[in-house]
Amino acid sequence: MKKFIYITLFILPFFAMAQKIDRTKAPVPGKAPLIQVADPVKFTLANGLQVFVVKNTKLPRVSATLALDRDGIKEGEKAGLSDLAGQLLKRGTEKKSKAELDEAVEYLGGSLSTSSQYASVSSLKNNFPKIMELLSEVMLHPALSTVELEKLRTQTISAIEANKDEPNAIANNVVNKLVYGANHAYGEITTVKTVNAINVEDVKNYVKSYWIPNNAYLIFVGDIEPAVAKALAEKNFGTWAKGNYTRPNYDKPAIPATTYIAIVDRPASVQSVVSVASTVNLTKGSPNDIPSIVMNNILGGGSSGRLFLNLREKHGFTYGAYSSIRPDHQIGFFKAESSVRNEKTDSAIQEILNELNNIRNTKVGDTELSQMKNYLAGGFARSLEDPATIANFALSIAVNHLPADYYQKYLTNLAAVNASKVQEVATALLNPGKMHIVVVGNAKQIAKGLEKYGPVKYFDIEGNEMAAPVEAKVDLSLTPVALMEKAIAAIGSKEALDNLKDVQLKGTASVMGQSLEMKQSILIPGNSVTTMSMGGMAIMRQAVVDGKYSVTQQGQEAPITDDLKEGLDESASLAPEQLYLAKGYGLKIIGGDKVGGKEVIDVEVTTPSKKVSHRFYDAKTFLLIKTSKSEEVPGRGTMTQQQFYNAYQTVNGIQIPSEMIIDMGQMKINVKYTDIKVNQGLKIADLK
Amino acid sequence: MQKLGNSLLTGLFLLCLVQAKSQTIQFEKYTLPNGLKIILHEDHSAPVVAVSALYHVGSKNEDTARTGFAHFFEHLLFEGTDNIKRGEFDKYVSGAGGYSNANTTQDRTFYFELFPSNQVDLGLWLESERMMHAKVEQVGVNTQREVVKEEKRQRIDNRPYGSFITEVLKRAYKVHPYRWFTIGSLEHLNAAKLDEFVQFYKTYYVPNNCVLSIAGDINIPELKKKIEAYFGPIAKGILVMNRPSIKEPPLGGEVRDVIYDNIQLAGVFQAYRAPKQGGNEYYAFNVLSNILSGGESSRMNKVLVDNKQLAAAVQSVPFFNEDDGLFISLGIANVGVNIDTLEKNMDSVINELKNGLVGEREFQKVKNQITTEMVNSKATMAGIAESLANNEVYFGDANLINTELEKYNKVTRQDVLNVAKKYLNKDNRVVLHYLPKEKPTAK
Repeated sequence: MKKFIYITLFILPFFAMAQKIDRTKAPVPGKAPLIQVADPVKFTLANGLQVFVVKNTKLPRVSATLALDRDGIKEGEKAGLSDLAGQLLKRGTEKKSKAELDEAVEYLGGSLSTSSQYASVSSLKNNFPKIMELLSEVMLHPALSTVELEKLRTQTISAIEANKDEPNAIANNVVNKLVYGANHAYGEITTVKTVNAINVEDVKNYVKSYWIPNNAYLIFVGDIEPAVAKALAEKNFGTWAKGNYTRPNYDKPAIPATTYIAIVDRPASVQSVVSVASTVNLTKGSPNDIPSIVMNNILGGGSSGRLFLNLREKHGFTYGAYSSIRPDHQIGFFKAESSVRNEKTDSAIQEILNELNNIRNTKVGDTELSQMKNYLAGGFARSLEDPATIANFALSIAVNHLPADYYQKYLTNLAAVNASKVQEVATALLNPGKMHIVVVGNAKQIAKGLEKYGPVKYFDIEGNEMAAPVEAKVDLSLTPVALMEKAIAAIGSKEALDNLKDVQLKGTASVMGQSLEMKQSILIPGNSVTTMSMGGMAIMRQAVVDGKYSVTQQGQEAPITDDLKEGLDESASLAPEQLYLAKGYGLKIIGGDKVGGKEVIDVEVTTPSKKVSHRFYDAKTFLLIKTSKSEEVPGRGTMTQQQFYNAYQTVNGIQIPSEMIIDMGQMKINVKYTDIKVNQGLKIADLK
Repeated sequence: MQKLGNSLLTGLFLLCLVQAKSQTIQFEKYTLPNGLKIILHEDHSAPVVAVSALYHVGSKNEDTARTGFAHFFEHLLFEGTDNIKRGEFDKYVSGAGGYSNANTTQDRTFYFELFPSNQVDLGLWLESERMMHAKVEQVGVNTQREVVKEEKRQRIDNRPYGSFITEVLKRAYKVHPYRWFTIGSLEHLNAAKLDEFVQFYKTYYVPNNCVLSIAGDINIPELKKKIEAYFGPIAKGILVMNRPSIKEPPLGGEVRDVIYDNIQLAGVFQAYRAPKQGGNEYYAFNVLSNILSGGESSRMNKVLVDNKQLAAAVQSVPFFNEDDGLFISLGIANVGVNIDTLEKNMDSVINELKNGLVGEREFQKVKNQITTEMVNSKATMAGIAESLANNEVYFGDANLINTELEKYNKVTRQDVLNVAKKYLNKDNRVVLHYLPKEKPTAK
């Protein structure tokens, strides 16, 4: 029943080994080991569930994995549904709460995990029948509860919010959208909107229609007899009802007529994320499959790949540069990528294209080729240490409809790849003249010169084309002092400002899905208290009262620096521009810019303690639109904190922004003041 | 909550302890005349071999004015040897389809390569060259200083909470060399002269301070001849090794501090002084650690993360060593959670362990988890080679790999209660609060 096929590792010819050694040279490898790729035992249950058993008695443990054989699903307005459904499966069953299920799994010393297309359990041999029952309960009778869905939704939205400003995440989304198109399952982007659109019924429908036995595999690996596996499969999944699955058919994504540049403008970027990508006609098991793996690894497979050696070692543009190629029976995918310093964006694109041309136009050298083949063959041999590798091979053969001896012949086929074949697949698969080149970066600094690679287009972070940013043309003839005076006048007339005695602002601050209470009281001149609290408990309090400064964060006093004092002084005024004119501040007009579609004037402010920040005033109304402050953090580069001011309201003739976004890169705080009062007769004592 | 005095139940409980037997690891152990210890484990289930060399030198052996040396050598000894050109060490490994890496602790430094099994000789050559002929030269020292600087940036300065071990150690120990972490001081590395590096190499990188542990698809009689050929000619070390025998006095009262770091979420780090590894208390502590944070149903995860949603992440870390170690309990606060509230709740989870015996089912659950872990730890040749070498160096007992489960099975609920009461006390701990550096300044 179980048969082994013997293959010889081809690495090098072998010689009789002399016991005397020559230390000056690396030893010659021994006789190549026999690589054994076992054939799993296979059978199918009446409901169509296909079962594989890879028996391996080395350790007294067993795992079972259910794998769904389905293509990507177009989820449209509910993008992200199958991922959420996968995670929700293991959060409780009809009989057990999440806590009870977790305890039951761990009592068996085992583990259980689920995702959109996989579900698996593992444990020691003696507990395996019990943990199989839990897998069955999770898959056949999941709770899919609203409460657990809401917990997951909150976590998912936090993660999406955190990624909105993450250049690599933006690059991934936009590359997929542009390469596959919005009408292809692989081109969809999960957003806060699509996640919010998902309800429990959608999840239930997904599980019901896709998790069906006649479209799934159950794979046992470990210390288990095939007969025992069969009995467990029958007992736990024999009653699983059949369903229908029709494989979707997506139109092949269009290939661009010519290479073009897609810029996603991210003004805060100090590095550009450059991706050169396209679809490729490549399926697993096709004649180009194994040669394409060799070709891609030579091009950009790691720290010995050509992209790495060129962009990092030779030119120092970046910390890393890599390529990847992926076969798929719908449509394959190729991408070369690197994160490079702003000023090297153009050169990096040029060098990536040079390497693509190079591997197409010139045959790879013998040493480079044989070292790469040795490396890949060694990796194949080492992967067999994990018995799950055999199971993965069997699954891959089944779902990709590969010849039964695909992995048994893998090393022979790898050995047969020669320099001509590498060049042939490079020429067939890589087309430098028809690439999507996506650049996420600071458009103002990097766009110039890129038109030589093709038309330059602009996209938002969800891959929708937009107009090119227009260079703001604002009147820069004002002196800094005149500008400050205009900014003060915009806040309120002299009379209105003179009449202002106190201000009280109340509202909410939302941070990563959590809502906090936000309160600020200002007593003119020079007193201010700001608190952020949750359920009545202060999380942050910063104050300047009677010339005394204090900052408390999560119950801890922060050390008071000059910088902090200046910030607190500013917070005690509705028109800090008055401070800038009165005290030892330095002011410099930097130029025009655009913020949120508005033309603004960028002013650099240097405080008496020599801290530099930027303030952006609306070029028409002179109201403050944004502030920005950058700080060098050791080992971490430059950290930038931006604040945006919106929804100005007029209260007693004073303009007060009722909304504020504090953007610290990885974290954003949205402040909304819903209750604004002035001149309520506030006293110093009220602030303490 | 369980009350004290359930010793009868405990006795009964002992009878139904974990029965599962894990596979025995057969091995052969011997010593060459130059003092090199060799451990060989033969297993033909996959065509792979792990070749490893463990040197009994860690940061605790360092001169107090030259901290970071042991870890620095982990980098320096990939530079090249008399017969391996600079930068080619890794090329030999990857060109043979292999994988290599190394790591340093406060007690020892470990190097290993994983190869297709016909490349075992290459592993012997590389490791014997490293021991016999490493080039300790200025150019390599300069290069690796930069690399270590970059590593410190990436792994300690730039990683959120990355400095916590360093910050904990310097407060938890006053006299023992465990008071500094393996990365050590860049100033010390900069100040060191070349001959100090040469001296360190000659002192510690000698056969009589090393265990060569090889596991996998090997033929033992044949391999022994080759080991003799590659390692036999290496001379025994004669320089005196620094082996500190310092007993750290009790902490003498709770130590508290606040660290400002580049983080978004506040964190609590509690480090309790703990016994050294290998004794009964050590095994009880590992059981206790699993009760606290082993899996989704563990106490810290269930109470602090799931039910009360106070923490985004919790973990207990047994930080055990050759000399007295630490038991660390940490929690990262959710957005908007007061750090003192989190700490109070962490304390009450710990206090519950001191107030009574752990329930029988929960205790059995943790035992079952540990049994599984012990089996899984024997899944890879690299893991087996490392366990054999660690056990030999720390306890003079490579066979502990086969008997350790018994030590866990002997741990009772009373033992867990005892270590909790003896060690998990306020005056025996360092508490650090990690707070974000940047404060949002409202307008």
